[in-house]
Amino acid sequence: MFGKGLGKGLAITLKHALAMDITIQYPEEKPFLEDRYRGSLVYQYEKCIACGLCIKACPNRVLALETFVPEGSKRKQVARYTIDRQYCLFCNLCVEICPTATLYFSHDFELTQFRREDIKVVYLPPQPSPIVPAGIGGTEAPPEAAAAEPAPAPEEADKQPAPPPDTAEGAKRERQVEAMQAALTKNPQKILAKLVQDEEAIELLAAMLGKDTKLSSKLAELMIADRDKAQKLAAGLITKVRKASAAEEVKTDEPS
Amino acid sequence: MSLADGVFFLIAAFTLAAAAGVVLSSNIIHSALFLILTFLGVAGIYFTLDAPFLALVQVLVYAGAVAVLIIFAIMLVMSTPAHQSNRFQPNRVTLFLGTLLAGLLTATLVYIGLITQPALAPVGPSGADMIGILANLMLGRYVVAFEAAAVLLLLAVVGAIILARGVEEK
Amino acid sequence: MERLILDIAHLLVSWLTGRGMAPVWADLLLLLLQWGTVLAIVTLNVLILIWLERKVSGFIQERLGPNRLGPFGVFQTIADTLKLLTKEDIIPTQTDRWIFKTAPMFFIIVAVMLYAVIPMGQDMAIVDLSAGLLFFISVGALSTICILMAGWGSNNKWSLLGAMRSVAQMISYEIPLAFSLLGVVMITGTLNLGEIVKAQDKVWFFVLQPLAFLTYFIAATAELNRGPFDMPEAEQELTAGAYTEYTGMRWALFFLAEYTNLVAVSALMATVFFGGWQGPLLPSWIWIIIKTYLIMLVFMWLKWTFPRIRMDHLMSFSWKVLIPISLINIVITGIGIKFIQGMGW
Repeated sequence: MFGKGLGKGLAITLKHALAMDITIQYPEEKPFLEDRYRGSLVYQYEKCIACGLCIKACPNRVLALETFVPEGSKRKQVARYTIDRQYCLFCNLCVEICPTATLYFSHDFELTQFRREDIKVVYLPPQPSPIVPAGIGGTEAPPEAAAAEPAPAPEEADKQPAPPPDTAEGAKRERQVEAMQAALTKNPQKILAKLVQDEEAIELLAAMLGKDTKLSSKLAELMIADRDKAQKLAAGLITKVRKASAAEEVKTDEPS
Repeated sequence: MSLADGVFFLIAAFTLAAAAGVVLSSNIIHSALFLILTFLGVAGIYFTLDAPFLALVQVLVYAGAVAVLIIFAIMLVMSTPAHQSNRFQPNRVTLFLGTLLAGLLTATLVYIGLITQPALAPVGPSGADMIGILANLMLGRYVVAFEAAAVLLLLAVVGAIILARGVEEK
Repeated sequence: MERLILDIAHLLVSWLTGRGMAPVWADLLLLLLQWGTVLAIVTLNVLILIWLERKVSGFIQERLGPNRLGPFGVFQTIADTLKLLTKEDIIPTQTDRWIFKTAPMFFIIVAVMLYAVIPMGQDMAIVDLSAGLLFFISVGALSTICILMAGWGSNNKWSLLGAMRSVAQMISYEIPLAFSLLGVVMITGTLNLGEIVKAQDKVWFFVLQPLAFLTYFIAATAELNRGPFDMPEAEQELTAGAYTEYTGMRWALFFLAEYTNLVAVSALMATVFFGGWQGPLLPSWIWIIIKTYLIMLVFMWLKWTFPRIRMDHLMSFSWKVLIPISLINIVITGIGIKFIQGMGW
């Protein structure tokens, strides 16, 4: 019949006109989101082992991590974890690569903020740690809760430790260094055991420190300031000593 | 003066003003649009003469079709800027002959207007019957002229198409 | 209820003549009042229609239309009108200002003039012209010039092109528009719209003249530059065609005039093909409103169903399909009438 296609078209539109509308009236009704919906990236402090894999996986440098090693444990802990959400492209690489499933995408899509600074989210440790990580932020204790906080701009992307701001802090630090130095002199093995595993290496290092007071004070300072650097310095010294003794052995071996 | 006369004078004044606009406007598009108003005014006069059918045919044919074609033609072949396309720039001979002709026409019209007795009442049937009577005349007594006019119009259409498209050489 | 409006009118006239006004002036005043009422109804209708179009298009596309302002979004049109009123009125430089400014005025004048002859109820046409149907067709033909004026006055090549296309389309479709109504005229033997309505008391002409109805519907859609025939003012093709340079209230006037035209044409279709104001229970002036709105809903349904027709297809459809069909319809109607007369029914 001529015009049958036209009639079919009209029937279809009529059916659609009388059917239910699929509009979701947004602020009053929220849309249905699937399980794998990628809303906002969320970080859980407790699960993070500070491995840094997510930092390396992120193609846009959205994530940033600052770690410290607290007194009494060799494990690195997260001092500050930053998610700069304005650059996140929701590629899911950080979520996939995390070994402990720390990061996940929540269903929160209402991410607009009034100020650009509020887009960045900073996670801080949940309670004050036993050793004051004095190089970070210059605050006496980091009592901020572990919940996400939009942090103000000047603090951002600041991976260097801040300089000790006032004399009260400086004096306290000096006392700590002196205490560390005294401990190194009195009982070097115990302190050095925190930095180096090997017993022989500990003996070597203790001997070195006994000879050189400047070195011991430097090591003490570093142990207060940055445990990692102290470890590295200790390892470097040991290697140097070992090389020197090996060279001596070679030298003494040569004439024979 | 009754309401009917008042209406007539109103429509007549409107028509004359529009006609003056056609002649005096220096922009040819304006002249064409004033011409449309003139046609509408004439249709209004036909209404006052109790000939609604003729008035509506005037609107449909003249204002609705002829005027549109005039405007199309003007727009297609306009070579000067619009605001100087219809300027009044006569030379002396044209001025003299034109004034003579206009004077003769005016004298004739005034003379006829003075000696004609006005009709006292509308003559013949009115309104609804008029269309039937017109149809009877056109398709009865004057059918040959009617059909000849139709054939003429058909020729004009075919000629226009040929002029526009060209004839294919076989 | 049925005679409500006529009673008010008569009451007014008799009160005025009772106060000493000559009958002719009272009639003139009544005429002006009728015109004022029609203008008010037309404007109200257009506001409702814009809302209705948006709602209907939304429902067809499985979404809600405007639904925030007022219940079901009824105040959306008012908000839009206020917005358009406050917009800057931009007139392009070096245009013909007279033509630019008067084009929308004439368009809406022509569109409103169409309401003079439509019987809005029993004996309720403003002017009961003996050639009412011809009046409708003639005045409808005047709107072509307004679009040419709009296109020319914009000083914009593309506007002029759009205007010329639009006018070409409109004058092509005027012919089937007029011819399809001739079948009805042949059956009733009169051009008077009141008589045509009265002649439908046994059977509506939509039944007797289905081909004419279909032809008129399609030709009217094209005349209104609406629905699948809106190539000249398609946004994707020519921005707004002849109306590109118009802003704010001037553009709104064009828009309003188009909708006014739509209502007038729907009312004419209701009058000529669907029995006008006739209907069982409700007063006559409500019936014609109901029928007009139903026809307008069909216009909207058509618009939002079919894709746009290309310009050359459009023109060839009119000249090669609709005119022959309407001529065939006239021939069939003539044969039918003679047959019935011959049989003596």
